[in-house]
Amino acid sequence: MNDQATTDQVTTDLIIRAEHLTLRFGGVVSLRDVSIEMRRGEILAVIGPNGAGKTSLFNSLTGVYQPQEGSIMFMARDAAPLSVIGKKAHQIAQAGVSRTFQASRLFSALNVFENIKIGAEDHRGIGLVGALVRGPGTRRGEHRSDGVVVDLLEFVGLTSEANLIASQLSYGARRRLEIARALATDPEVILLDEPAAGTNPSEKLELAELIRRVRDERGVSVLLIEHDMKLIMSLAERLYVLNFGSVIAEGSPAEIRANPVVIDAYLGSSHEETKA
Amino acid sequence: MTFLSLTNLKRLFMILIVAAVVAVMTGTPGSSTASPTTGVHGSFLERVSWFGLFAAPRWLLFLTLGVIVWLLMSLYRPRARTIRRGIDTVFAFPKELTSKRSTRIALILVALIIVLLLPKFVHESFWMYLIVEQIGVWILLALGLNVVVGFAGLLDLGFAAFYAIGAYTTAFLTGALPMPALFHHPIPTLWVIPIGILAAMIFGVVLGTPTLRLRGDYLAIVTLGFALIIDDFVETQSGVTGGGVGSSAVPHPSLNLGFWHFHWGISPTPYYYLCLVFVVVFILVFTSLEHSRIGRAWVAIREDEVAAESVGINPLKYKVMAFAVGAASGGFGGVMSAGLVGIVNPGLFTYQVSVNVLVLVIFGGMGSIWGVALGAIVIQTATSYLDNYQPWGYQINDLYMYIGALLIIMMIFRPAGLLPSRRRAREFAAAEGGEDIHTDEVLTGDQP
Repeated sequence: MNDQATTDQVTTDLIIRAEHLTLRFGGVVSLRDVSIEMRRGEILAVIGPNGAGKTSLFNSLTGVYQPQEGSIMFMARDAAPLSVIGKKAHQIAQAGVSRTFQASRLFSALNVFENIKIGAEDHRGIGLVGALVRGPGTRRGEHRSDGVVVDLLEFVGLTSEANLIASQLSYGARRRLEIARALATDPEVILLDEPAAGTNPSEKLELAELIRRVRDERGVSVLLIEHDMKLIMSLAERLYVLNFGSVIAEGSPAEIRANPVVIDAYLGSSHEETKA
Repeated sequence: MTFLSLTNLKRLFMILIVAAVVAVMTGTPGSSTASPTTGVHGSFLERVSWFGLFAAPRWLLFLTLGVIVWLLMSLYRPRARTIRRGIDTVFAFPKELTSKRSTRIALILVALIIVLLLPKFVHESFWMYLIVEQIGVWILLALGLNVVVGFAGLLDLGFAAFYAIGAYTTAFLTGALPMPALFHHPIPTLWVIPIGILAAMIFGVVLGTPTLRLRGDYLAIVTLGFALIIDDFVETQSGVTGGGVGSSAVPHPSLNLGFWHFHWGISPTPYYYLCLVFVVVFILVFTSLEHSRIGRAWVAIREDEVAAESVGINPLKYKVMAFAVGAASGGFGGVMSAGLVGIVNPGLFTYQVSVNVLVLVIFGGMGSIWGVALGAIVIQTATSYLDNYQPWGYQINDLYMYIGALLIIMMIFRPAGLLPSRRRAREFAAAEGGEDIHTDEVLTGDQP
């Protein structure tokens, strides 16, 4: 009885639970029996060498890829747990899981404002009549999304760039815009795929600050892939380490840093040589 | 000297080969009974007169033309950048002019007055007829395809299918087909308009739902297939559609409001106004769609489908919507054309029609409503003129050769079209600069 209660306690605390995920492309196994639990309100990181399966994991969590085995549950705050596998990417996004991409995928011919607005709009329903007649409902919707955009522009610090075309932005600004667009969908969890890739050191610091604020001020749980160890160790509260498609370690930054398996995966044979 | 450099001489050689091919293509046709080479012979040796000034064998003519083209290209190359910029400034002028809202409205008003008074200037009813049939209807088709190709970025090579649906729905409901009309009760052509539009839209949904899961080239091929199926169905089911002969008994529209009775008869002018009303309506509807939530979702899908999905946009839903909305105007084009000409037959809805509409959209500027309308006016006017006057030894069969050449020139100098939409122009610029082209390195891998 007592046991039951504790598991329930843990379940309500979790926001994403992925169990025994296996993802194959033909003969290539990209994820092998990967299980991950993410708690509500934490900043969780997934690290690992190139090709370890980090992005495949993200794509599985967001419906871009469909793993052949395993289950993924997403526990939204006020809804029944959602089984992610088999759902389309847009359905998962509507349920409250938002993401950014490794190579930023902005709508590059649109301006900053429009980029965020597309994220802020409600894409359910048909809306054909509303678009033509522009009744009060439509106008209210537009007003609401404009408000969301203005708010997010300020949150990520792009207010003065609102009218610039996305492709004119600096790399760091594009990264922030992508985060703003993802936040515009009003998610409960946001998945950031190498948000600091290609940015300079000062932009990296800004991004780390922004990611922390996403969690602290917006209450959005953050799952993050990143290569920059300094950034990730200062930002993440817990880490999973992937190598060759499997989870090889899990723990706090301090634990991970001291874990010999992780050191081995990262430094490989050269590490052996130094020991010898 | 750069003129005689090896690369430039190679270029001359290539141009002369092209000139020789063009000479054969435009020359006398061969004959299967006599020597099959007579066509080639004649194409080169026949003497032709140019502007009545002099007569020369064709090979000399094409050689001269080839060399002239080569000289022009050689002169153009070192100055390409300046000339391109010049062209851009010329075209930037109307853009600047229309950037102010007041001038834009004034321009639209002037255009509206001109089109309203147009029948007063065109006295020959033959030309008025052509304006409706060859320009008005094609504007409708181009506006419709623009929603699919320009807004949503879906390459549709079978748009004539919707045109055919509109026309055959008209013929069916007015009782002009061998198959009896619905409930054996023919209705006037005018009342077919909403039903024809609706039928085309439903067909768009039916056609779109299974096929729009495909992307890019695959989609283009499927749409092509659907148009061919429709074409074949219409051609072979003579008991239903009248087969290859079709029907030539579609009645003219008429309106009976009790106190006011109007019949669209032989005179093309009333059709002109009917068509104009609907062109204006469709322009208004499509403009407001473009700037709505739906229009933005279309842009998002067109630019990056994966990113669009990541913000909760269901691509399939919006693509089907684009198909249905575009089909509406194509379907009305069909109703209009059937009511005006009184004839429906499969020859009117061939693959060529689909390609031609696509040409209008590309030429005018994908995604730009005014550009597409202007493109339709320019190309269709030129085509009608050429077909009916046949100046300079022009032959009807050569039309697509010239249109092809026009498109090639267009793609080199103005890839975004005559009056490009701002967003599209940006996309082209970005693609040319090699910027922000999404290589799907992360997300490719067809899911097994």
